[in-house]
Amino acid sequence: MLVAVTAGLLAFAANAISNRGLALGRNYFDAQIHDGSGTRSLPAGTNTTPLLGSALQQLVAQGIRLADSNQVTALFHDPRFEQGLVAFIDARDDEHYQAGHIPCAWQFDHIHPENYLSTVLPVCQVAQEVVVYCNGGNCEDSAFTAGFLASAGVSREKISVYVGGITEWSTNRMPIEMGERKSGRVAGAGK
Amino acid sequence: MTHNVPEDRERTGTVRPPSSVSVMPQRSPRIEIAGLVGRWVLGAVFIYMGLSKALHPEDFLKLVRQYELTTNPIILNSIAAALPWFETFCGVMLVAGIAVRGTALVTVLMLVPFTVVIAKRALALAAALGKPFTSVKFDCGCGNGEVVIWQKLIENGLLVVLACLLVAGFGRKWCARYSLFKEPEMRSPKE
Repeated sequence: MLVAVTAGLLAFAANAISNRGLALGRNYFDAQIHDGSGTRSLPAGTNTTPLLGSALQQLVAQGIRLADSNQVTALFHDPRFEQGLVAFIDARDDEHYQAGHIPCAWQFDHIHPENYLSTVLPVCQVAQEVVVYCNGGNCEDSAFTAGFLASAGVSREKISVYVGGITEWSTNRMPIEMGERKSGRVAGAGK
Repeated sequence: MTHNVPEDRERTGTVRPPSSVSVMPQRSPRIEIAGLVGRWVLGAVFIYMGLSKALHPEDFLKLVRQYELTTNPIILNSIAAALPWFETFCGVMLVAGIAVRGTALVTVLMLVPFTVVIAKRALALAAALGKPFTSVKFDCGCGNGEVVIWQKLIENGLLVVLACLLVAGFGRKWCARYSLFKEPEMRSPKE
């Protein structure tokens, strides 16, 4: 009992001291995916397995689309992409983004929206199609980011979530850009 | 309080261990070494697992959320903030040999519910995907990234056995302070 209490107190103290510590009172998954407009039934054929996390299921019910690799590839090759009318949003943290992202994708980590909102929001408002992705699999960062963007005023009709994420993208041997956006360090097939 | 064993023998004709002295079973050196190695292994595993999460608390928070144990953000944040450091401190206590039995008991009380929760999620995924249980893998938030779950469950089972052995009294060799309140004297039960 004494061990548990001592370790518990030390654990909270360590979290408070650590510069990476979590703010206990903050809701990191703020109600970005609830807009109060009520939810609709999931579209027929929607995957409702645990792999499609609860956040993503709620988004789909609210009208945000899911995109497969063919649709995302088509948008990547769409001439509107060059004109800034198709925007790719990488919903992962710095470390993952720097390691490799879809070329010219904008980063938006929903845990720290204040760092990205002023840059990404105007891009999304101008774009006709906004594709949000994260790692794929059971990653829900794309769902939370899509919800955040929708609650910030981006039209739901133009937001889609690429469920396969960067994992599927790289498996399909699509180009990957390393480092900063437009760093020029692109690996994989040419666009 | 000290006891003079020869005087006790003269008075009563029998030898009874003094109440303030714990009789520690004498084990063979090999068993003592095995206990020491077991304690260090368990401690090192906990330090590694704890630090790998404590250094990326936001990633761990996202993984904890996916278990859907609670929707209360304060509880969720507290789990994600404290648990990694809690594990780290338990690991340090085991490696240093401080309050070994109590710490080992705490590790058992952590490992068992973790293992149950992971197994339940893996079963749900296996059922939803129609895949055999042995092919299920995901990032369980254990500090190793994506893992094959049946292997993780076996690993956790072995750690529980190891911790139970420490609770039973193994791993006394080279302890900074085996018990917080009472240092058992080295004494043979044959005395």
